[in-house]
Amino acid sequence: MNFDLQTIWFILIGVLLIAYLITDGFDFGVGILYGFIPKNDIEKRVLLNSVGPVWDGNEVWLITAGAAVFAAFPEAYAALFSGLYIALFIVLVCLIFRACAFEFRSKEPSPGWRNFWDKALFIGSALPALLIGVAIGNVLGGLPIINSAIYGDYLSGFVYTEKFPINFLNLINPFTQHGFYGLLIGIAGFIFFILHGVSWLVWKVEGKLVDRAINIAKKLILPFIVLFILCAIVGYGISFKIGDPSKLSYLALPNNLLESLKPYIHGNTIVHALFRFPTIQTILIVLAIICTLLFYRHISTRNGKCAFADTALIAALGTLAGAFGAYPLLVPSSIGIEHSITVYNGSASTLTLTVMLLAALIFVPIVIAYQTWVYKMFLYKISVEELEKELKAEPDAEAY
Amino acid sequence: MDLVVTLSRLQFAMTAFFHFIFVPMTLGMSVLVAIMVTLYYKTGKEIYKRMAKFWTKLFAINFALGVATGIVHEFEFGMNWSVYSRFVGDIFGAPLAFEGLMAFFLESIFMGVLLFGWDRVPKKIHTLSAWLVAIGSNISAFWILVANGWMQHPVGAKLAVGPAGKKAVLTNFFDIILNPVADTKFMHTITAGFILSAIFVLGVSAYHLLKKNAVEMFKKSAYIAIIFGLISSLGELIIGHMHTVEIAKVQPTKIAAAEALWETQKGPTISLAAWADEKAQKNVFEIPTIPGLLSLMLYTDPNAKVEGLKDLQKKFEKIWGPGNYIPPVNLTYWSFHIMVFLGSFFVLLFLLALLKYKDLENCHWFLKLAIISIPLPYIASWFGWAFAEVGRQPWIVYPANWQDPNSVALKTAEAVSKLTSVEVLISYIVFLVIFTGLAIADFYLLAKYASKVPQADEKESY
Ligand code: HDD
Ligand code: HEM
Ligand code: HEM
Repeated sequence: MNFDLQTIWFILIGVLLIAYLITDGFDFGVGILYGFIPKNDIEKRVLLNSVGPVWDGNEVWLITAGAAVFAAFPEAYAALFSGLYIALFIVLVCLIFRACAFEFRSKEPSPGWRNFWDKALFIGSALPALLIGVAIGNVLGGLPIINSAIYGDYLSGFVYTEKFPINFLNLINPFTQHGFYGLLIGIAGFIFFILHGVSWLVWKVEGKLVDRAINIAKKLILPFIVLFILCAIVGYGISFKIGDPSKLSYLALPNNLLESLKPYIHGNTIVHALFRFPTIQTILIVLAIICTLLFYRHISTRNGKCAFADTALIAALGTLAGAFGAYPLLVPSSIGIEHSITVYNGSASTLTLTVMLLAALIFVPIVIAYQTWVYKMFLYKISVEELEKELKAEPDAEAY
Repeated sequence: MDLVVTLSRLQFAMTAFFHFIFVPMTLGMSVLVAIMVTLYYKTGKEIYKRMAKFWTKLFAINFALGVATGIVHEFEFGMNWSVYSRFVGDIFGAPLAFEGLMAFFLESIFMGVLLFGWDRVPKKIHTLSAWLVAIGSNISAFWILVANGWMQHPVGAKLAVGPAGKKAVLTNFFDIILNPVADTKFMHTITAGFILSAIFVLGVSAYHLLKKNAVEMFKKSAYIAIIFGLISSLGELIIGHMHTVEIAKVQPTKIAAAEALWETQKGPTISLAAWADEKAQKNVFEIPTIPGLLSLMLYTDPNAKVEGLKDLQKKFEKIWGPGNYIPPVNLTYWSFHIMVFLGSFFVLLFLLALLKYKDLENCHWFLKLAIISIPLPYIASWFGWAFAEVGRQPWIVYPANWQDPNSVALKTAEAVSKLTSVEVLISYIVFLVIFTGLAIADFYLLAKYASKVPQADEKESY
């Protein structure tokens, strides 16, 4: 690893992603559980209000991460967002419905209206929860992109070579390397979000709702560990082909990084490309599994705070393990590794990276500080009884 | 033109217009709500609490769709304009990231405290939260308008070739922030939001005053709105003028189209109305005012020369190669003129309101006028954007210096992603249907809660 601006920004994007998974992650989890555990209207409203005051601030981590990729790695932003067009489009539709479901659902008593928004909230949480992992897996597995500068086109940048509908279907096609890996990480991620949602509910809510949530979590722990290990094993097997070794200079990698790839090159493939730091990565994966076991313990003793810390750590450790694997590649190309986007050929200029770094160093800690502060203010426990009392006193109270 | 380009433009314009239904209200209402919350805690009077709660509810309903449409916007740059994104990313991404870090977090985190904090968090913190929401939303406007202003006038950057091709790179970050086009744009746009919210509050209050609901509270609301609106609308006349002057310096084609000026003239007039035959490149009719007014406004000299579209087209072709450099003239002309007409009307509206304030609840014709004025600032804002965005065509990044072929510039048609028209068609139609549906649901809820009578005074004792 080199400690230059590009690498620092790679790490920072990772930090933003982890922050997003930890914060909005439990909103997704609660949104998924919303489809299963509440038995009546007031229980639904308890779930809505458990995340009501904070979900929007959580979603901003996604917006900021997106914008930070735009600013720090514009080539990756352009190639990924246009290449994964339909997938992102679906995520956006989900996020739109989720946002409106919170605000609109309880503002109208008609059962038809509420039913509609209940579904919107559930699907609006469940589908992104699945697709986030699918996207990460696909990127790690290598997408069919080309660097059009190699062919003399100096304006188009990195272009996705497959056309709709193949480009979309291949993202979940288990017979392609990236599609298979995407599906695997997608499902593992989906279960993770549920577990994380349960942590939040144990922390924030009281009553029977929580018992039901805990029961679901207990059933999901074993499948999660199995899937998690499977992701690591499949990741170990991933290799990329080299189309034209003379074009590797297009990756713009510093010499030492190019050298560090050499031991993994066999003929014209790079093997174990995502496991070039095996010791660290294995330790991270083992730690994540230990956290999952601790999570089991903490939900059994209803220690919400610790359970939340466990699932938050799983998100961080998992992301780190993946990030170590990817570096210095941002988006490996399945056409030929020389077409990949790296943190060097995809980054913004030194000046932009510096300005942005200063801003991030000042504002990320400030944001984390006041977000934590506001969370503390809102960590009062809520329950069916409390909410009923409040709504009786003031029917128009600000509640979801 | 290429179908993908056309569809992408339609989709972007559509999302932008939906976003800008909700955004200006957030900009102004956040400030008005903060004022009301402050009044409540300062005076301790229950009437201000009821007032603040009433308007906060409407603010929150409006806010949800602002958020929902905003996310689409943020991702659409990469999704639909990938060549644009990679070309300008070095400059354009930073303001968006700053917007997230400095504004969206403030806005949305403290929005939670503002909504759910009543009687739960200390008064001081609640007031502070209300102001942080207002500051956050207006900072967000600043950064996004810095980004948009840069597309209108790309200063602080130069062209370079990297490992993935040609792109614009940053040369001076302060040039980007201090870009005069961006800064006037920022003032102009937030002031537009202030006017819009003031008219909204005035109009809804007028509705209740007509029905004699909670007269004291709505009269007080109207007063706050009138003062706020009068200052803003007067300010907007001045800022709007400054904005026009700035644009005239850098985008000659836009200003010529704004006045449907085909021939280069010495001391041209500003017309009250005109219709252009864009094929024949002349005006079918025109109602002129005082000669020299346009040159006077733009260059403080009634005899100054203003270049016409025909000459500009020739010059642009010489420098930038063959192509059409004239934006759609009638659309540009009318969006500019309608905005200015409405801007002048708003000043009159607030002046009248102030004059009639003493007996406002009995002045029925004015109350009715205030109600039917609610949509007008929306129309003014939409036309403002149409003018700014359509008037810069065919450029997505208007040349920094149009006389220098080496300055940073990009045409809209080159900027689009390599997508199939099917993909864009699907997303366009689905977004259109969803946004329309959600906007209707949102208006329904707004109308429902806006016409609800707040609890009567004696029930206020909990
Ligand atoms: C002058 C004001 C203005 C303009 C021109 C724009 N926006 Fe906006 N935007 C706002 C002012 C605003 C706001 C007032 O700050 C909003 C409205 C509701 C809200 O939550 O914040 C917002 C919300 C909002 C959000 C959601 C933030 C959240 O979750 O809290 C995003 C991602 C964007 N916008 C992005 C954009 C993009 C990419 C734009 C350009 C094409 C854009 N906005 C134009
Ligand atoms: C929210 C208020 C806005 C509105 C109502 C608006 C309106 C429009 C319209 C009508 C078009 C289509 C013009 C045409 O194709 O003829 C357009 C295009 C565009 N605008 Fe805006 N705009 C807004 C804000 C912004 C901002 C803040 C940015 C950048 C930060 C921006 C960037 C663009 C881009 C990239 C295009 C696509 C290229 C094009 O068609 O010209 N817009 N907008
Ligand atoms: C009264 C005289 C006014 C003048 C002279 C004026 C002038 C202008 C000019 C020159 C632009 C285009 C800037 C560009 O191309 O980048 C503009 C845009 C705009 N106007 Fe106005 N305006 C006036 C009133 C208003 C009013 C009353 C509103 C709304 C309530 C409004 C809302 C907007 C908006 C939203 C934009 C687009 C954003 C921007 O470019 O700043 N304007 N105006």
